[in-house]
Amino acid sequence: MNPRDPLPTLAEASRRIAAGELSPVALTEAALARAAALNDTLCAFIEITAERARAAARRAEREIAGGRRRGPLHGIPYGLKDIYDAAGLRTTAHSRLLLDNVAAADAATTARLEAAGMVLIGKLATHEFATGGPAWDLPFPPARNPWNPAHFTGGSSSGSGAAVAAGILPLAMGSDTGGSIRLPAAYCGIAGLKPTYGRVSRRGVAPLAYSLDTCGPLAATVEDCALALQVLAGHDPRDPGSADLPVPDYRAALRQGVAGLRIGYARRFNEEAEVEAEQARALDATAQTLAKLGAEIVEVALPPLAQFNAVMRTISPSEAFAIHQRDLRERPEMYARVTRERLMLGAFVTGAQYVQAQRLRRILTAKVETLFESCDVLLTAAIPGPPPLLEETDTTPFRRQQPITGVFNATGQPALAQPCGFAANGLPLSAQFVGRAFDEATVLRVGHAYEQAAGWAAKRPAVATLPE
Amino acid sequence: MDHDELDFDAALRRARLTVPAERRAAMLEAYRNMQAMLKVLDDPLAYEDEPAVLPRLGPGAGR
Repeated sequence: MNPRDPLPTLAEASRRIAAGELSPVALTEAALARAAALNDTLCAFIEITAERARAAARRAEREIAGGRRRGPLHGIPYGLKDIYDAAGLRTTAHSRLLLDNVAAADAATTARLEAAGMVLIGKLATHEFATGGPAWDLPFPPARNPWNPAHFTGGSSSGSGAAVAAGILPLAMGSDTGGSIRLPAAYCGIAGLKPTYGRVSRRGVAPLAYSLDTCGPLAATVEDCALALQVLAGHDPRDPGSADLPVPDYRAALRQGVAGLRIGYARRFNEEAEVEAEQARALDATAQTLAKLGAEIVEVALPPLAQFNAVMRTISPSEAFAIHQRDLRERPEMYARVTRERLMLGAFVTGAQYVQAQRLRRILTAKVETLFESCDVLLTAAIPGPPPLLEETDTTPFRRQQPITGVFNATGQPALAQPCGFAANGLPLSAQFVGRAFDEATVLRVGHAYEQAAGWAAKRPAVATLPE
Repeated sequence: MDHDELDFDAALRRARLTVPAERRAAMLEAYRNMQAMLKVLDDPLAYEDEPAVLPRLGPGAGR
C-alpha cells in the first residue's frame, strides 16, 4: 500500500485483505500518513487517534491471520464525525462547549463498526453541533473541499466528506437532519446515504432535532455504502426512534440491475429548487443513462417546495432550541456566531406553528408515499449546483436557500446522494435517489447500477495523490 | 416599532435570550423572513389532519 495513493474502496480493501494481499497494519499506516499529510490543507480531522488505530490494526491482523476474520469490514480504517461517541475519546461536536467531554461508552453505531473489526483513525470536523455553518470563531477550523480547498465541503458532516473524497478513509460516519450526509457527499463528489428514519440507531450521537435525525455512511462508492449499512442497520431498543424491522442483504440487491424498475424523475421540482443549468443537464443525463440500462423514466410531481421548507424551518429549529436553550441563555458566547443565531431561531416558533408543521408534514409524507405506488425510486437534485467558495457560504441567521435534501428528512424516506458529473469549474455535481421507507436496498440498487454505467466514482481530486 | 419588531422582542424576552446590539438588525431580518416563510402553516387543515406519531413510516404509513 503506497500512502501516496488514495486508500482503496471498502469493497476493494475487503477483497484484498480476504485474499491476503493487503495488511490491515499497512492500510492503517497509509491512512495515518495521508491524514497527517493532508490535514493542514483540508482540516478534515479534529483528532487523529494514531496509537489506538495502530493497536486495533495489529489486533485485526492477528485475528485475520489466525483464521478469525469477523467479516468484510475487518481491518479497514474509518472515521467518526465528532458528534459520535467513542469510549475514552472526546466528543466535542466541534464546539468549545464540549472541549472536555470524554465519552464513557461507544455510540451504538461505533460499537457495531468496532465489533466488525474496523480501525478508527480519528474524529472528524463538523459544523458545530451538526448545525450552523462553516465558522472561523471556533476551536477548530472548518473542513475544506478536496476538489478545491477554497470551496465549501457542504455540511454538517464536512470532515467526513473531505476525508473520504481525499482518499484518507474508505468510510466515514455522518449524520443527517436536513441533508448533512448528502450535502457533503454531493459537494465532495462521493456517495452518502441517509437511511430511513429509524433504520440506524442514533444512541450515543449528539442530537440536533429528535424527529429528523438520522445516522449513516459516506463512502467513495454506493457499494461501500451498502457494505457499511449492512453492519449499521438494525433495531436498538435503547433508541426510542429505532424501528424493529428485518435487515435485508443490501449487497445482494446491488446485483439485480435496474431493468424493469420505474424511476420517478422530479424535473419540475428541480426547477422550483432553482437548480442551476449544468446541474439540471447532469440530472437529465442521469435519467437517460438509467433509461438505457432498462429502467422506465416517468416524470413525477412532488408537493410544493414551499410547504416542505415551512415544515423543516419550523420543526428543526424548535427541536434544536429545546436542546440548546439553557446554554443559549447562560453562555451564548461559547457558540460560534452562526450556530448561536441559527439555534435562536427556534425561540421564534410558537407552539401552534410547531403542531401545524407536524400536521402538514404528515400530509406531505402521505403525498410522497403515494408516488411510490407508481414508481420504485425518485430522482431529484441533491444540490442546486457545484460547491460555492467557502468564504462566500451563506452564514446569515436565516439562510435564503433551504437545502433540497431536507424534503426527505421531513418525510423520513431513505435518500442517497452520489456524483452525476462535474461542472465547468471541475467541481462535483450530484444526483439524489429516494426510495420507499425502509427500502434502502432498491435505492442502493439504482445508485450502484448508475455508478457502474457512468463511471464518476473512479474520478479522484488531484490532492488525493500525494507528491513523491 | 412595527408589530414584527414588537413580536421579535417579546419572543426574545420570553425565551430569555440576548442579542448583541450589533446583531439586532440581522436577527430581526431573520425573524421577518422566517415568519413570512411560515405563513404557509396558516392554511386551514381538516380536523382529521393530525400529526399522530411522527415520523410514521412503513406499510400503510401516512394514509
